[in-house]
Amino acid sequence: MSSSIDAPVSPRSQLALSCFDELLDIAVADVASECHRIARLGLDRSVDAEEEELRAWAARVAGDHPGAEDGGATRGSGGGGGNKGAPDVFGQTHPAIAADILHCMNCGRPVVAGRFAPHLEKCMGKGRKARPKTTRSSTAGRNRNSNGNRASSYSPYSEHSNH
Amino acid sequence: MTSPSAPPSCPHLAAHRLSSRPLRFLRRCLRVRPLGRPEIRRDAREVPRCSPCPSSSQPPSRLYACLTCAAVFCPSHAASHAASASSPGHQIAVDVDRAELFCSACGDQVYDPDFDHAVVLAQSTALHPPSTSTSGSPAPRKRRRVDYHAWAPDPAESALVSAAADPTTSASASEPAGLRGLNNLGNTCFMNSVLQALLHAPPLRNYFLGDRHNRFLCPRRTPMTHRATDAEARAACLACDLDEIYSATFSGERTPYSPAKFLYSWWQHATNLASYEQQDAHEFLISILDHIHENIKDDQPKSHEQGHGDCCIAHRVFSGILRSDVICTNCGFSSTTFEPCMDFSLDLDAGCNISHGVANPKARNGERNLAGINSKVSTLMRCLERFTRAERLDAEQKFFCERCKERQESLKQMSIRRLPLVSCFHIKRFEHSSVKKMSRKVDHSLQFPFSLDMAPYLSSSILRSRYGNRIFPSEAIDSEPVSELSSEFEIFAVITHSGKLDAGHYVTYLRLNNQWYRCDDAWVTRVDEHTVRTSQAYMLFYVQKTLYYKACERGAEV
Repeated sequence: MSSSIDAPVSPRSQLALSCFDELLDIAVADVASECHRIARLGLDRSVDAEEEELRAWAARVAGDHPGAEDGGATRGSGGGGGNKGAPDVFGQTHPAIAADILHCMNCGRPVVAGRFAPHLEKCMGKGRKARPKTTRSSTAGRNRNSNGNRASSYSPYSEHSNH
Repeated sequence: MTSPSAPPSCPHLAAHRLSSRPLRFLRRCLRVRPLGRPEIRRDAREVPRCSPCPSSSQPPSRLYACLTCAAVFCPSHAASHAASASSPGHQIAVDVDRAELFCSACGDQVYDPDFDHAVVLAQSTALHPPSTSTSGSPAPRKRRRVDYHAWAPDPAESALVSAAADPTTSASASEPAGLRGLNNLGNTCFMNSVLQALLHAPPLRNYFLGDRHNRFLCPRRTPMTHRATDAEARAACLACDLDEIYSATFSGERTPYSPAKFLYSWWQHATNLASYEQQDAHEFLISILDHIHENIKDDQPKSHEQGHGDCCIAHRVFSGILRSDVICTNCGFSSTTFEPCMDFSLDLDAGCNISHGVANPKARNGERNLAGINSKVSTLMRCLERFTRAERLDAEQKFFCERCKERQESLKQMSIRRLPLVSCFHIKRFEHSSVKKMSRKVDHSLQFPFSLDMAPYLSSSILRSRYGNRIFPSEAIDSEPVSELSSEFEIFAVITHSGKLDAGHYVTYLRLNNQWYRCDDAWVTRVDEHTVRTSQAYMLFYVQKTLYYKACERGAEV
């Protein structure tokens, strides 16, 4: 394979070019030999199926308008997508914020399900927004708790830190 | 991809095998360079040349040595040599630079198992496969056997089984069991999405529904008392809380369930993640699997080395073993380590965003350009190929080679030594740059198959391709026992993330009875395949095909 450049080249350049050509030929033959082996030994059986799937998938995606995903894509985590008003697969509808009443495992108070996490965060004294947990030493000797009876001499959670 | 099998020999190769002497002389001439191809050279300094070719012509890219008379030719002269030779048997030659057999009469490369076996033996003896691997490699052992106990149902159990088997008696006959919405408790869609995937992971579901962890009998059960003063001193048991969720979702009740107790228990364990904030679903999954392990690992009498999966159900289901090879580029010596993994975190290839519809004409090396549109599409399989690709380590991270006795540049290659029952693929869509002090989400779509064969990414396949995809029994190069489990997987859940990095929403798509359902917190709806395929996958859950139950086809009822 000779150079296709019309202008005359120096002997050194010619040598470099023919060196490059030889290396290129060898590289191409290497790849051809490997692929031939893979194809003949049946190591690429999945490739055709994969390409078919890829073709079909690309056609589908190109058919969609950009960024489409069922139910709206960019709403925050609290609300959700656009189909929330419609009945679900069981024929039920639900409010945007879950309305079930749960009982907090920590303090026992009834809490609306959709607001359980922020309540629990403060109740357990975790997270950045929670007030500092009252410690045993700070409540030692306090004789008030929600049940009204005198329990142990310390309680980790005092009344006012709960939501 | 199964192990390579030889195609039927061409008549010339078959005749050659019968008539000529075996390949002993070739074995002497096989010379193996580290990381290079095996060569055929009679003498180490031999420079093969095609004698009929004029000396001024460009050297050909392939040179063939006739197996019968050892004369070296370029392809065209090899053909005439085969045709003109007075005695028969000069049709088969060998490519001297690649150690591949060639039939000059057919004009095609041919394959022979015995020849390949000889090449592999030469390669393995030359490279001295490491006899010692670093600590952590599992010793090959027989699988433990369990004693057989016969069992037959008593009348009460028989009645229970036949009653439950009739779909018309369950609460909602038309929908599969276990399908139930989960209430969002305040930014907890990350938790709901992962719980939905776990609820329908067949081995995990079977474990809990099969009463293997009974929350009423567990010594660590989560305290239910209010204002428990020692609530945090007594560790909650996440496995018990998960058991409760399974009971609730498979009870037949269809109104959305609130996993409040699970959240409470998890926050007791994962104190660093406990806050009313959007969390990362993948981080949450790893966290709960880890805590389940902590909770129940002591239930087992013996704990084997990590990764074998006997310690707890979380490892039994999700734990696989990765093999990491570091190969010296100077001498080819390789050092192998094994590490357990609970999931596969994959970099998202920078494919072009297809929705723009811009055709990218530049196809990558080796790939056919499929109408220009999807030449650079990200696919799960390409991510896995990239995961198991041999990568050159930085020049700064030179690896100390035990054979060279000095630091050398090296290659690193990962492969999967043992597949888990459930493979969770985490697509790294969130990029955090400490340099640029910013994080961003990568929004490219990812194509993924519903049926996945992991064979090309197994250690056996990766090693085989490192030896040139030769035909040989795997024991020839590696003493690892061949995996008994199949490598075929079926998808059952997809967790998608939509929106921005810090204000997004997770949704899970479940595949039950060959129907896809979208679980968006409390809202469960049917969707078609197309929606799932075009969604933005963040975590993909595949289960071994042998554990995946195809839909029990009920008569047209809905």
